[in-house]
Amino acid sequence: MSITLDQVTKRYQGSPVVNDVSLEVGEGEFYVLLGPSGSGKSTLLRAIAGLTGVDHGRIALHGNDVTHVSARQRGVGLVFQNYALFRHMTVGENIEFALKVRRMKSAERRKELLRLVALEGMDDRLPTQLSGGQQQRVAVARALAHKPPVLLLDEPFGALDAKIREELRRTIRQVQRELKITTVLVTHDQEEAFAMADRIGVMNLGRLLESGKPDELYARPATRFVATFLGAANLLLARQTEQGIRFGAAPVNARRVEKLEGGREQEVVAVLRPEEVELAPTRDNLRTNFIANGIVEEQVFTGAFERMRVRMADGAANAHIASPNANGGSNGSAALLDVTRTQHEQRLFPLSLGQSVAIGVRRIHVLPTPLSSYTAYGSDEASCERLSQHPLLVELASRMKTRIIKRNEAPLVACDAPASAPVSGVAVIAAGQKTADQLQWLLQNGAGEVLVLPAHSSPPQKVLIHWADDSARRSTLAVAASLLRHVAAEAVYVGILPEGSGGESQRPFGVRTLLDARSEAQAVHGLEMRTELRFGAAADELQRQLTESQDPMLILGVSDPAQLRGTFGTLFTSGATYPMMIVYRPSKDSEGAVE
Amino acid sequence: MSFRQPSILPGFGLTLGFSTFFLSAIVLVPLAALVMKTATMGWSDFIRVVTDARALASYRLSFGASMLAATLNSVFGFIIAWTLVRYEFPGRKLIDSLIDMPFALPTAVSGIALTAVFAENGWIGQYLAPLGIKVAYTWIGVVVALTLIGLPFVVRSVQPAIAEVQRDLEDAAETLGAGRFTIFRRIVLPTVFPALATGFTLAFARAVGEYGSVIFIAGNLPMRTEITPLLIVIKLEQFDYKGAAALGFIMLTMSFVMLLSINLLQAWSRRRMVAAGR
Repeated sequence: MSITLDQVTKRYQGSPVVNDVSLEVGEGEFYVLLGPSGSGKSTLLRAIAGLTGVDHGRIALHGNDVTHVSARQRGVGLVFQNYALFRHMTVGENIEFALKVRRMKSAERRKELLRLVALEGMDDRLPTQLSGGQQQRVAVARALAHKPPVLLLDEPFGALDAKIREELRRTIRQVQRELKITTVLVTHDQEEAFAMADRIGVMNLGRLLESGKPDELYARPATRFVATFLGAANLLLARQTEQGIRFGAAPVNARRVEKLEGGREQEVVAVLRPEEVELAPTRDNLRTNFIANGIVEEQVFTGAFERMRVRMADGAANAHIASPNANGGSNGSAALLDVTRTQHEQRLFPLSLGQSVAIGVRRIHVLPTPLSSYTAYGSDEASCERLSQHPLLVELASRMKTRIIKRNEAPLVACDAPASAPVSGVAVIAAGQKTADQLQWLLQNGAGEVLVLPAHSSPPQKVLIHWADDSARRSTLAVAASLLRHVAAEAVYVGILPEGSGGESQRPFGVRTLLDARSEAQAVHGLEMRTELRFGAAADELQRQLTESQDPMLILGVSDPAQLRGTFGTLFTSGATYPMMIVYRPSKDSEGAVE
Repeated sequence: MSFRQPSILPGFGLTLGFSTFFLSAIVLVPLAALVMKTATMGWSDFIRVVTDARALASYRLSFGASMLAATLNSVFGFIIAWTLVRYEFPGRKLIDSLIDMPFALPTAVSGIALTAVFAENGWIGQYLAPLGIKVAYTWIGVVVALTLIGLPFVVRSVQPAIAEVQRDLEDAAETLGAGRFTIFRRIVLPTVFPALATGFTLAFARAVGEYGSVIFIAGNLPMRTEITPLLIVIKLEQFDYKGAAALGFIMLTMSFVMLLSINLLQAWSRRRMVAAGR
């Protein structure tokens, strides 16, 4: 491996800007780090170059650990967005700089490099006499002069216009292939990422969310963020049943890509690419699965493609669509589906505004996230309303591009009557004296995940993860992975062994549990987390850790509702001051009985 | 041929006329008067006055000490400006405003204060005396006074230039394998050089013309610690107006030649830095 990052973390004023990033870039690979501004991608690049130190984790280049090696010694090739050419030196002097400081012969190499970037004979020009594209080529040549171990490019095309950008992209890719040099490019432009990358890593909020080949990431994203950031996507809430996927009333026999954990019927998030939508005059004319009827509301001609938005009229209308262009999960975008059609499709079925159409889907991808939508539960209108306006909840829902429903349930106080409708998605309740009772009631009525919010809480900085027993492990990790993609917090798994129960002899067992947990989180859920081993009573240890941490959050997995009153009872009695996510999956025996 | 440049704001004629008038009234006419006054004396008289041994010694002190002070200021002013621009520390704003104090202080006050501090029984002087270093009433004292009054010129000229040096340039040089000293010498210094030259010129010019602070600390011993401006004043007090004018004329000419050459050097290096297209 040319570049190996192992749990690299960089904090800025306490909060992580690069959060537990692990990554391997192969020999001669062109890797693109893609993410919006502020996602930590440039910081990560500077950390690889050695210009920024890391607070945690290790960095290796070609197998040599360079975590504590200075930028000067690492000697990577680095290209900046603003070229960073030395303006008082000629092009030739710029390129020879790295060789001159090493007291190496440079004339030959200079000629070779100028040929490589197609700037022969420009040796004596000053950078200010060159165009932007030429300057950036000089910068690339300069970065390659000393034959660096890896080449790093920080938004190298940011300051160039479209035509030159295209040309320079080709030059850089060509140079990279010719030299077979391992390259990492940072960009916020997904088109650029697709055009250049062997592999893409998508970053958001300091985390590396997913990493993979461009086509695979596009076809099978694992997270909402990647689905919507790489190309356009309609996110739909659907129900996964034994028969397949249902949008509202309409069952769709769409091919499922991945089977979600647990055979139970549940709410899922489906990705529908605008180009996978088929429009036809009537349902019978569709060659694909019908999902709804609709009306064309917006139509834009963009040359090769026609973009439109279709309002879904029935059935799937309440499936709620978070369209790629809508900000967050506002209800205004509900039931509006983004569609693109090729020229060919346009000729077969010309459309105009206001026309009714039947909508079909060619392909649907279901995201493997257990967090679909939020439902705020309260025992009266006012408390529902207040809870649904909770800043943390609103923030989460908008980042997840999902909806918040309000549901007024009187039994929340009485706790003996059944719910008016089965609980689906994530249930949300306010923290209080009766939290434990309410949790139990929700779990009995079908909730799998419950978010408990105190009246006042800041965005979490540190998320503690713990599960009562192994049967809750998998789903707790899945929830944690999904949640942590949307908050900029550090994840710590807390393993707790009973005190005195064998003492030292217990330690190896405890450590193995931690390692297992970490590798499962990494392998199955793509979640990087740290681990801590404690001894004592679970609730007390958690309570202590939570009070010690600044702005903590707890994700707690249980396999039996009784554990909430028993083992973890003390966590709920005093009305928590931090947010909690309770994950409940019945233990293996009872689950087997259901199936 | 027209000098007129098309511009959004009108008033080329008015502003040029105003500038010419103002420069004439305040700068050119007095200088011309100086030249005229000098011209009334004969060549032999003129040569005698300006090559008098006492005059020659005063030129050496005035220009030598000014040059030395401006050089010292360039070094320390650069370091101070660097500290103020690059680092955040408590009291930064305070130090930043202290820099301007020599601008505002009456020069006589700074001269007296320096004398008190550097005299043989002063705060600093008492520690220097055993080492055999005498500051007050020697040429060193002159340099110290000229350094004090010239410092703000360097700091204020260099500050914006340092702020403009992109960190990326230093980062780039570091990844290319340059050590700290190389980065400073080959990247930072060339970028800041034009501004540093400006600061040097201003500090030098100010030092050559300085009178108030120097006369207190210099002791004014003929041939040893007597600066040219002081010699001029002495001549005036003896009602030797022509002699005073002759010395003034020499100072004027030498200052002009030196400032002009520094300015040309600076223009040349600036042209190299900021060429067409930027």
